[in-house]
Amino acid sequence: MKREHQEAAGGGDRRGGEGNWYVAAEQEKGKALMGTDDGVDELLAALGYKVRSSDMADVAQKLEQLEMAMGSSAAANDDALLAHLAFDTVHYNPSDLSNWVDNILSELNAPPPLPQPPPPPPPDDPLSLQFDLPPAVTEQYTIGTVDLPDGSPCKPADVDELQPEASTASSGWLISQSGHQPEVAMSLRDRKRLKVCSSPPSSTITADAATAAAAQQVVIVDSQEAGIRLVHALMACAEAVQKENLKAAGAIVKQISVLAASQGGAMRKVAGYFAEALARRIYRPQPPRGMGCSSTVESAALDDMLHHHFYESCPYLKFAHFTANQAILEAFAGFRRVHVVDFGMRQGLQWPALLQALALRQGGPPSFRLTGIGPPQPDNSDALQEVGWKLAQLAKTIRVDFRYRGFVAASLADLDPYMLLGPEADGGGVEDDEPEVVAVNSILELHRLLARPGALEKVLGTIRAVRPVIVTVVEQEANHNGRAFLDRFTEALHYYSTMFDSLEGGASPPAAVEVGGHDQAMAEIYLGRQIYNVVACEGAERTERHETLPQWRARMSRAGFDSVPIGSNAFKQASMLLALFSGGEGYRVEENDGCLTLGWHTRPLIATSAWRAAGDPLSTSASCRTASS
Amino acid sequence: MMMLLLPHREEEEEGGAAGRRRFPINDNADLLAEVLGRLDGRSLAVAGCVCRLWSAVGRREAVWEAVCHRHVAVGRAGAAGGTRSVVAALGGYRRLYRLCIGPALDRLAGVRRQGPAVSSAARHVSLSLALSLFSIDCYERLGGVGGRQQQPPASLLFLCKPVDVS
Repeated sequence: MKREHQEAAGGGDRRGGEGNWYVAAEQEKGKALMGTDDGVDELLAALGYKVRSSDMADVAQKLEQLEMAMGSSAAANDDALLAHLAFDTVHYNPSDLSNWVDNILSELNAPPPLPQPPPPPPPDDPLSLQFDLPPAVTEQYTIGTVDLPDGSPCKPADVDELQPEASTASSGWLISQSGHQPEVAMSLRDRKRLKVCSSPPSSTITADAATAAAAQQVVIVDSQEAGIRLVHALMACAEAVQKENLKAAGAIVKQISVLAASQGGAMRKVAGYFAEALARRIYRPQPPRGMGCSSTVESAALDDMLHHHFYESCPYLKFAHFTANQAILEAFAGFRRVHVVDFGMRQGLQWPALLQALALRQGGPPSFRLTGIGPPQPDNSDALQEVGWKLAQLAKTIRVDFRYRGFVAASLADLDPYMLLGPEADGGGVEDDEPEVVAVNSILELHRLLARPGALEKVLGTIRAVRPVIVTVVEQEANHNGRAFLDRFTEALHYYSTMFDSLEGGASPPAAVEVGGHDQAMAEIYLGRQIYNVVACEGAERTERHETLPQWRARMSRAGFDSVPIGSNAFKQASMLLALFSGGEGYRVEENDGCLTLGWHTRPLIATSAWRAAGDPLSTSASCRTASS
Repeated sequence: MMMLLLPHREEEEEGGAAGRRRFPINDNADLLAEVLGRLDGRSLAVAGCVCRLWSAVGRREAVWEAVCHRHVAVGRAGAAGGTRSVVAALGGYRRLYRLCIGPALDRLAGVRRQGPAVSSAARHVSLSLALSLFSIDCYERLGGVGGRQQQPPASLLFLCKPVDVS
């Protein structure tokens, strides 16, 4: 007994130095946990470890068993796993060693139903849930399919070590493990660090800490474990769907909703939307119309409203408008008659700023014509005309000569060039003096055309026929149009997680909640509809076919367009705009070979590019004029 | 009564009262406007609470125009006269400051407090950006054709602070 006591104490001493910061971080919680000190070994208690002397023998014996179990199982399967265990474990403040050891033993002997892959690498910010899905998950997913009996909750993975500063995160984890501290086991190996999974959102942590500290209960690490399982379950379900194994997929989907409920914040919402989309895909292979699966007439008005809220709540659309306007403004320099064709008119929020900029430009405002294109409206209300009327009012107050025309088109492919150029009778004889230059503007519209083969080529041909001086294209920066369902799913999961993170991060101040709070919820619904479309729909109904900037570049070049670099003015204005958004620290404007992208931390989410028809004398001379002025 | 104290010059005295000359600023509204135009927005709003004269002078567009120009980076020395008419049409400089420039400056000050991560280009509010936001807000306030019930314009909410003191 004494020898074991000494061993344990010696082991404790060896890591006295490392244990100290845990003591400091844990002091108040440790006191709550420690309860009475009777029978607690004093030496270890001085280090902050609570071990009852009476339990020592028992604990020591169990630890030996544990070591054998861990050693054998790990070595049998994966050397890397063993190496992680050997070198990469942190120890925590134990309060009830026997129970914890029991727990570990039972888990080792009875593997959990799902194989758990190591979790993906964590975000830099412990509160956000970004993760690098495409490379990490696929690779770790393979490891997961090797059936590991070792079901320890502290699955080693490539995760950052817990810093002392992240003490809330770490201590929350510790508290959540209050009944099960692995400390003494680590004494059997030198310098072990348990690589922890990505930290759960702070709300879960504080909840865990509160409940654990209050009730000395074991609020298990399940919140973290659930996060990992959640991601894994989503991927497993997607793979099952891809393999047409709908029964398995259906079973997993149910698990997903349970797991999602245990998460908080952005992850829960994202998982919820993906789970719902998967469920629809599984149980109804031909989903009925609605839920944004196809842009029906009924949903057009709803779409506009959600789009408006998305505009308010985050800067992506504002960024798109401002950068596109800047490019158009520069392209229009020197011309007295200008014409803008907008492929997605909606509420026309892009154009007041352009009107104002044209009113203030040197040389005075030009004569401005706007052609707005929109989908058919359900109740025969002429939304396009109303928008045009409002813009006309604004133009009148700032004294810009303004003409407007609205076109209703179910799809952009229905347009013909002569519609856009307008009747020659317009404007009378003024036509001959001043050439009218055309700009075409497409914000998040072109990707829908990829749903029908040939539609995009037709539209690009129409654009070329109009001979625009500039074409501004803004698209989501993601590849949601891959051939394999699993690839699309993975990409979409990553993309929308980042989007939702940015919504959480840049949330409006709590006092502005009446409209601001709704904005965020509506924006999430807006994104949710896109998620639904990407995951649950196929064929012509799957209209959210986002592609990356390089892919769009290739398409535009093939169609005969040359890239026009977006100038530094636009970059500066975009940076200034983002600085004004709360949470603006997370947004990044980057320049990508003449195009501008806006992203959240390291991930670009939306890209603006500008084009002109290659070899067109009018547009070439115009751009030369712009370049020289 | 507000006074400006001028340095006294003995040689200019022609007899009369010895000591300093007093110049009541309230007697000269233009001078008052000049002075007030050098304040920042919040101080100017506060100054408007002093008395009726100050309130009236403090509401002059010229005063607010000076305040706005003092606080924004003007890109090009463009058509100043043109700017004036456009801003007047959109609602005036006082409104521009209240809705766009003021909140933007407050937001940037907050950002600066938080950390130096903001790039230098982004530390200033440019006039063009402020005007763009202003025009969008003005547009949103325009009524529809049939005078339909409009939602309160929300495009500037991302700048808004909870309490609007002006």
